[in-house]
Amino acid sequence: MTFQAIYTLTDLRVLLRETAPAHEFDAKQKEQAQRLLENLERQVGSLKQEMLK
Amino acid sequence: MKCGNGIEARQVDELFINIDPIQAGGRLTADAMKAVIAYGDGYSVCDNCRKPNRLDYISKPPIAEFHKDVAKWLNMDAVRTVPGARRGFQAVAHTYVKKGDPVLLTTLSHYTEFLAVEESGGIAREIMANEQKLVTPDATAEKIEAVKREFGRAPVLAFIDHVDYQYGNMHDVAGIAKVCRQYDVPILYNGAYTVGTLPVDGKAFGVDFVVGSGHKSMASPAPSGILATTAEREKEVFRTTQIVGDVTNRKFGIKEPEMMGCTLMGVTLVGMMASFPHVKERVKHFDRELANHQIVMDALLSIEGTKCLSEYPRKHTMTRIDTIGSFDTVAETHKKRGYYLQSALEEKGITGVIPGATKVWKFNTYGMTTKQAEHLGRSFVAIARENGIAVKG
Repeated sequence: MTFQAIYTLTDLRVLLRETAPAHEFDAKQKEQAQRLLENLERQVGSLKQEMLK
Repeated sequence: MKCGNGIEARQVDELFINIDPIQAGGRLTADAMKAVIAYGDGYSVCDNCRKPNRLDYISKPPIAEFHKDVAKWLNMDAVRTVPGARRGFQAVAHTYVKKGDPVLLTTLSHYTEFLAVEESGGIAREIMANEQKLVTPDATAEKIEAVKREFGRAPVLAFIDHVDYQYGNMHDVAGIAKVCRQYDVPILYNGAYTVGTLPVDGKAFGVDFVVGSGHKSMASPAPSGILATTAEREKEVFRTTQIVGDVTNRKFGIKEPEMMGCTLMGVTLVGMMASFPHVKERVKHFDRELANHQIVMDALLSIEGTKCLSEYPRKHTMTRIDTIGSFDTVAETHKKRGYYLQSALEEKGITGVIPGATKVWKFNTYGMTTKQAEHLGRSFVAIARENGIAVKG
């Protein structure tokens, strides 16, 4: 799960590179960012459950 | 944000459009970044190394398959990964060049090619590029003849850069290789600026060796690269060790002296491997890269006094530009002197120009989106206008 979360952050990092310097997202990029951030929240939630039980 | 004692997390490409001429093609893909995270430990690719204990035989991760795929992709017969193109030059020079041997380079050759020749005791003889800064087959033939007159024999090796680092010009490698073959001169194709960005077919070029740079053009961590060769030359440059210890009687299996055994044993190799499918795909779309580059060239050349020193129309995304008649005229009186251009670019989210450079400089647009290319072009024009430099149209 740690890799999944890091990899999701990596995809977000690449999105930042593709949109530098203004980071103005078009509709597709906004959708992608939203999906990645939701995945990240889910992955961090799972990590909390597993590591803090 | 620090990632170690005194080590600032690098965010250059997240915060800026980076036009550094040597960095563009080496930026990692997302998959390479992910592989780097998982394989950062030293000998990380060696978990499943089994007899005959050599890097290019490891099947998990699929390193052996990667080697075969790269050879096929370049239309060559054998490949090894090397710590940078320069180590490929070194291996080939060390195999073929002996003390006092003449070696053919060009007036646009990279310094590491010279060093590889020097280390082997060779003597550099350069083919002169013409006024257009192009190395031609005719000039190659003339130089080989001159070498024959001087040394009584042909050069033992030729290094030819397909796209040179000084102008980003594309040279007629196939024509040059044809001439070299007529004189039985083995030829090394330096693809530091092509392997990984443009389609490369070693056999079609008629070359004996193809060298590529992972960190320059294959979206890979440094230092990484590839050395590819033909079945004929494979036995020579990738010969296996013969040495035996006199006390222990030890031998070292199929290790290759020119490779010093195994080469890329961790993050560099998996980074290359992870990017490879993307690299194979991206070379098919260099036309898009040139279209983006043209957006920037059009903008730069609309600024009065700006000249393109590279061949034009452009065939590569790295270009040498002369702004002595434009941006440099402002540097003389600007309070930031020559640093104003870099400073103005950074204010617009652009980095990669050598600090203080306003006369002659290089930039590379490889990997940029069209939106980023448009921003870059607009920014150059805006900086010119802000500083009273005339802009056409």
